[in-house]
Amino acid sequence: MEKYLKKEEGLMEQQAPKLSIILLSEELEKVHAAALVGSVAAMSGMEVNFFVTMNGLVPFLKESVASKNFKTGTVGKALVEKAQPFYELIENGKEMGNLKVYACALAMDVKGWKKEDLIDLFDDVIGVTAFFGISQGGMIITM
Amino acid sequence: MSEVTKKVDARGSFCPGPLMELIKAVKGSQVGDVIEVLSSDAGSAKDIPEWVKKMGHEMVYSEKEGDYWKIAVRKMK
Repeated sequence: MEKYLKKEEGLMEQQAPKLSIILLSEELEKVHAAALVGSVAAMSGMEVNFFVTMNGLVPFLKESVASKNFKTGTVGKALVEKAQPFYELIENGKEMGNLKVYACALAMDVKGWKKEDLIDLFDDVIGVTAFFGISQGGMIITM
Repeated sequence: MSEVTKKVDARGSFCPGPLMELIKAVKGSQVGDVIEVLSSDAGSAKDIPEWVKKMGHEMVYSEKEGDYWKIAVRKMK
């Protein structure tokens, strides 16, 4: 049994040790899907990094979360009413796995946003070069 | 041998709520413990066994009881 488990672990590591998600969109459906995929991946033993950039940062502003002001389509409206909020999913991923969230320095700068303007999920504000270093060798998906 | 150590009632919670509740319970358990989760979410009934397999734990049972699933997992490491 022990041997079997070790083999399983090895397989898992080979499959996908690292997942990085570039989140560009402020559409709640995409943000929620990214949060869901990322948090479950982190809880399944993968290293997960979020790079939140451009309008993707908007739903993460304290102001947006406090007023529940999100850009929603048909499914998004129901998500706001019924589902666990996206930031709670990410929080769970951080608590129970290796999940980091980074904000894009460019988008923050042009809008004059500070890390304090964002909800308390972000590990750092970084540039593209730093993100490449962090995501190197893993899978990158864009949403 | 498959005595349930901990029970989690995640009925009414949407995907991936029941899985997350289970993961929390597994993290807070000892090796050998059996955690039973109740879920009314059909996606979780498929997701949970996948996660269990991937993480090297053991499925004890997964049964449908009326409009919800009763799934038990043994923590293996």
